[in-house]
Amino acid sequence: MSDAALLEPAIAAPARHGRMLRQVAGRVASGLVVLWAAVTLGFVSLQLAPGDIVSLLIGEQPRTPAVEAAIRAEWGLGDPVAVQYLRYLWRVLHGDFGRSYILQTDVSGLIASQIWPTAKLTAAALGVAIVFAVLSAVTTAGRSWARRVAGSVELVLASTPSFWLGIVLLFVFSFTLKLLPVAGDRTLSALVLPALSLGLALGAVVGQVLREGLERALEEPFALTVRSWGTTGLVLRVRHGLRHAALPAVTLTGWLVGHLLSGAVITEQVFGRPGLGRVTVEAVLGQDLPVVLAVAILSAAVFVVTSTAVDILSLLLDPRLRRDRS
Amino acid sequence: MITRRTLAGLALALAFPHGSPHAWAQTAQPRAGGKLVWAVETEPTTLNPQLNGQDKTKLYLRNVYESLLARTADGGYVPWLATSHQVSGDGTAYTFTLRDDVTFSDGRRLDADAVVLNFTRLKDPAYSGGISVGPVARLAQARALDAHTVEFKLDRLYAPFLDFAASLEILSPGAYGSPQLKSGGPDIAGTGPFILVRYARGQEIRFVRNPAYRWVPATAGHQGPAYLEEVTYRFLPESSVRTGALTSGQVDVIEGVSGNDAGLFKGSTQFSYATALNTGTPYSLFWNTTYGPTQEPAVRRALNAAIDVDAVLKAVYRGQRTRAWGITSPIDPQFYDRSIEGSIAFDPQRANRLLDEAGWAARDAAGFRTKDGKRLSVEVVQAQATVRDQRDVLLQALQAQARQNAGIDLTIAYVDTGTYADRRASGRFGAIANSNTPTDAIDIENHYLPLDRGGALNYSRAAAPELLAWLQEAAGTLDPKARFDLYARLQRFAITDQAYALPLYEPEDQVAASTAVHGIGFRPFKQLPESAHDIWIEPRT
Repeated sequence: MSDAALLEPAIAAPARHGRMLRQVAGRVASGLVVLWAAVTLGFVSLQLAPGDIVSLLIGEQPRTPAVEAAIRAEWGLGDPVAVQYLRYLWRVLHGDFGRSYILQTDVSGLIASQIWPTAKLTAAALGVAIVFAVLSAVTTAGRSWARRVAGSVELVLASTPSFWLGIVLLFVFSFTLKLLPVAGDRTLSALVLPALSLGLALGAVVGQVLREGLERALEEPFALTVRSWGTTGLVLRVRHGLRHAALPAVTLTGWLVGHLLSGAVITEQVFGRPGLGRVTVEAVLGQDLPVVLAVAILSAAVFVVTSTAVDILSLLLDPRLRRDRS
Repeated sequence: MITRRTLAGLALALAFPHGSPHAWAQTAQPRAGGKLVWAVETEPTTLNPQLNGQDKTKLYLRNVYESLLARTADGGYVPWLATSHQVSGDGTAYTFTLRDDVTFSDGRRLDADAVVLNFTRLKDPAYSGGISVGPVARLAQARALDAHTVEFKLDRLYAPFLDFAASLEILSPGAYGSPQLKSGGPDIAGTGPFILVRYARGQEIRFVRNPAYRWVPATAGHQGPAYLEEVTYRFLPESSVRTGALTSGQVDVIEGVSGNDAGLFKGSTQFSYATALNTGTPYSLFWNTTYGPTQEPAVRRALNAAIDVDAVLKAVYRGQRTRAWGITSPIDPQFYDRSIEGSIAFDPQRANRLLDEAGWAARDAAGFRTKDGKRLSVEVVQAQATVRDQRDVLLQALQAQARQNAGIDLTIAYVDTGTYADRRASGRFGAIANSNTPTDAIDIENHYLPLDRGGALNYSRAAAPELLAWLQEAAGTLDPKARFDLYARLQRFAITDQAYALPLYEPEDQVAASTAVHGIGFRPFKQLPESAHDIWIEPRT
């Protein structure tokens, strides 16, 4: 072995490192562009939305020029739209999303106070979904009778409105059995029913995809090889099959996280939980534009982060992707 | 199957036992102490009572914020923060003498300057927006005559002013320097029997007893501080969830009970159930007199005759709502003229005859009436934000009636707040359905003054000169009999003659509670649920 051969990895490693950094930087930059586009599109569409903001803020009160002038001055509505846009952009860069038209509170503070309950709910629901999907797929894939039963259960869960599921869960576990509290966000137990009602439908969809992938993996030649080593069925499914089957399910889950956020709206309403979902619905109905915009930007940020996370997770799951990229 | 078992196990493992069924000791005497949990439907937009227009939030805001005078059931006034009041002979000057022992919960004293500040700040549109153009606009000058005497001077006599001045919630002067002024919150101190300590949006609002409180009005059930140590209102927007929370003992009281659930509590030995009709304008369909087919009085009269309101209410609410007939609530002791009842007869033959005579005789393929090739179509615009109390079902029932009985196409548009504001401003809508609760004829003025003269809720856009003349005359006299007669004339003209509106039902408040909870009541006259001052609970054993 020559010196040059020994040196090669030492040279190659920083080069690979640099490539990775460039990739990450590219990702962050494109994420920022997406966010800027979200801010701008949000701002533009709200300008085009029906209803003049001054009439909106006056509501069902008498209207006089003095009142109009006071409102324009207070909310800076007298300035040209371009000025309002630039001012908004500047403030957003500093983390200031303005003040709610309807609630009269600071939007950043409002979002900050509501994001934690929603994050808890969606994380718990995601946990429920993953546990349900994996258990259902691993235990029933390729077993004709069990898969039929599990498939039907999943179909029912996936097509049940989460509103109805929530009411039924409440009726059984809270009102009748009195095992779990009805509402609020004060104890861990209050999270169980909302997480189930939100997570089961997602778990059902992911479970179907996962099972199909698992069945395909189990038919591959490598499965036969692993079996010939004398490995048990469960180990084959969990250690070898699942990894192959997970890729489409992970992609789907990433995409469905967005749906968790929108499903949280209904779950929060039924269970009387605080959270972004309820705040958003009320803001949209009341055309509380600063809040709607802030939520839109936040959702865009969540999507950027999750899609990046899914890409990275795919790299970890599938060595072929890693090789192809490098 | 494994999946199901695993899930059930997971749920059980995470579950904490949440209290055993309550057993209640029987005591007849009110008892101080205890904590109460009350599930409510409506979350506040703002906690500043002067800026908040949601009647459903008053039941908890009233724990903190009080006003100069309280009302008696017959509409009279009794002392509260003010010990007495005088109105000058010409009705343009009001003098209030304040109690000298009242303090706000932030330690400041209630004095004449504090009251003057509350009224003058409300006139500033930068603080109160459109509210500054309401009754407070009649106030020309507010001044402190001495430390405990306030005088309000009006430009000219305005009879509803006393109702407004007596009921304005008085905030601590310290509130006006707080960043929470417009949003409200714990910083905005009041004088009430409870102190607001915590508001968690989407979850609950909590109050603790104000130990220094000793200025209840004569209308209250007991003197001195409140019985309860603490009261928490939890926001549960779904009515079936509120009902379940009460029946399973997770809350003590609920507000807003659907017609379907009322049967669970009525006549029950475990729960009490009480309702009170709202004041003010009933939930009514206001026909637009300046746009579309409802410009023709004959079409409006036909619409009023074509709909069997009694049958619709019975079907939708199982008989749990009260039919309304007039321009104000049947429980208004001052200005409700009962002779209007029964004046809108369900008479499909008359409806069809009126329409035939008005030229809407032809029918199109779908069976709707037409004139000059245009369908007899009226679009009801309903703001999505105020759909509650199964009003969507009610509107659908009305739609079916109009079609079956008279071939009228009543379409319903649920719109967002922006579109609603647009439609209202442009006048391009067939009808708007709404109700509101102000008393002392302020609601009548809102609905029947011309749009540009303070008729902020003049949905029918009625501009007949008689209306303005009657309303000005009624507001310009302190003689209750003369006022009653004028509003009665206006009611006949608006409902029977011109058919500006079809009154449907009078909204109400419903409260259901565990029988261990005592002292829940409704305010005299204004009829909204009263504060928690008189509420006490039997000890749990």
